[in-house]
Amino acid sequence: MLILYVMIVGAAAFTIQPEEHTVAARNCQFRGKHFKKYFRVEEEPVVLRCPQARSASPHLNIMWHKNDSGRLVPGDEETRMWVQDGALWILPALQRDSGTYICTVRNASACDEMSTDLKVFENTEASLPFISYLQILTLSSSGLLVCPELSDFTHNKTDLNIQWYKDFAPLDQDNRKSLSLGGTTHLFIYNVSVEDAGYYSCGMIFSHNGTRYNITRNIKVRVNQKEEEPIPVIVSPHQTILASLGSRLTIPCKVFLGIGTKSISVVWWTANGTTIDSAYPSGRVTEGPEKEYSENNENYVEVPLVFDPVIREDLNTDFECTVTNRMSFQTLHTMVKEASTFSWRIVLAPLSLVLLVLGGIYMHRRYKHRAGKSYGLTTVKLAMKIFKSHPIKIKEIK
Amino acid sequence: MEMFRCSLSHLISLIFLLFHSEAACGPTRRRLCKMRTFRIWDVNQKVFYVSNNQLVAGYLQAANAKLEEKIEVMLTESNNAFLGIHGGKLWLSCVKSGDKIRLQLEEVDITDMGKNKEQAKRFTFIHSQNGSTTSFESADNPGWFLCTESEGDMPVSLTNKPRDATKVTQFYFQMEPQC
Repeated sequence: MLILYVMIVGAAAFTIQPEEHTVAARNCQFRGKHFKKYFRVEEEPVVLRCPQARSASPHLNIMWHKNDSGRLVPGDEETRMWVQDGALWILPALQRDSGTYICTVRNASACDEMSTDLKVFENTEASLPFISYLQILTLSSSGLLVCPELSDFTHNKTDLNIQWYKDFAPLDQDNRKSLSLGGTTHLFIYNVSVEDAGYYSCGMIFSHNGTRYNITRNIKVRVNQKEEEPIPVIVSPHQTILASLGSRLTIPCKVFLGIGTKSISVVWWTANGTTIDSAYPSGRVTEGPEKEYSENNENYVEVPLVFDPVIREDLNTDFECTVTNRMSFQTLHTMVKEASTFSWRIVLAPLSLVLLVLGGIYMHRRYKHRAGKSYGLTTVKLAMKIFKSHPIKIKEIK
Repeated sequence: MEMFRCSLSHLISLIFLLFHSEAACGPTRRRLCKMRTFRIWDVNQKVFYVSNNQLVAGYLQAANAKLEEKIEVMLTESNNAFLGIHGGKLWLSCVKSGDKIRLQLEEVDITDMGKNKEQAKRFTFIHSQNGSTTSFESADNPGWFLCTESEGDMPVSLTNKPRDATKVTQFYFQMEPQC
């Protein structure tokens, strides 16, 4: 009986043991799924790198297993897969290798796990949209295309030779449009035109144990327009703005955006380097609505700064209008000055009016008086003239 | 009477403008508008993405393209800019660590940085145009440039040897359509 009991316990312990081992393995902290997935084509070599340990270090123990089977890879009978410097090599990859792979990284004190997805596609044209890398060239300038993710196969390779194809036709070394830079994964393209857009593929031969494998990468090339934008210019406001305390004031910031094609600009105001909405939470000073308009094909944008009302504090504040487009930046400082001349004018205006009226009345009176006197004189003179002229006339008649 | 009619029409147009402003571009929206989204890729065609809470540069295929991080740019002065990701939630900063300068991602409200020049310096990059490419120098650490490794899937970092063949410091930087 005792022997039987010992045997049962022993057998139980024996069967539990491997499970405890896997439980211990599962105690590793799962760091999540690596978002970047691997998309490869069948019959080509694939290298999966553990995202937790990109550069393999000798103190790290890295193990791989496949999520669906839970078994460690490589399996005993597996000859297509092996772990080398912490990376999982699959040579060549088959469509059935698609799935989630989990790498377990252990050192003396910690254990981390992370998963990564591999999808192996059939090597046909229909797979292109699912496996291509996007690369961008700029119109009318020179650019580089790069045959991506080959570093696992190009290490210690001195005679690297990359063959390039455009829309499945090989790009010869003697063509005038592009140049495959020897010993690198780069294709140099001269003076990019719209026709340079399309599907490219690049590849190399990788030999292992006397077998030669093709490694191809597919690139979708987009050609972008050159970014040419007119630089915006702040036209107004003036450096000082006159205002009277207690009154409402609007300072428009007017920006010239160019002729015809307008630049995409952002205009805003700041007060002592702070945005208006955070400098004046009460809303006494606000930025008005942005207004875009054209005058004779010249494009402008205007953003007003509205004070309701102007207070003494504003006279010591540095207001700044800023305009940016793409990477250009322009600012204009403005200060609010108290319109002292304006208040004098208020006093002077009625005063001068009174003086003018008084002056007018005085002048009028004076004129009236003097006009009366002179009238008398002229009549006397006239009478004398008549009186004098008469004897002469008489004489002549005689 | 004429004057009264004039001021009344002003008042009406003012009310109209005020209502219009609220509908079109409120203060919060305007602040967001001051940020510009750019697409960044290095001269070796690597784009930025986040892996293990780190900004890395690598090649992204088809469905992976959605991982690409666009850069939020907030210009502070001529040629000076803050660079952010995740729609302006995380900002790139340069922090001294020994004799190296480390690139960090910090979750800050960047609009507060305008008030504190000293605080803002570690977030500030000086961008210079070099033909069709752009380089980004840390304003706090002259001579240190934003860089990627020539190999893919490696962290974006800072280097004081921009001519080193294993480092890439020149980027294409193109504005995305307006927000």
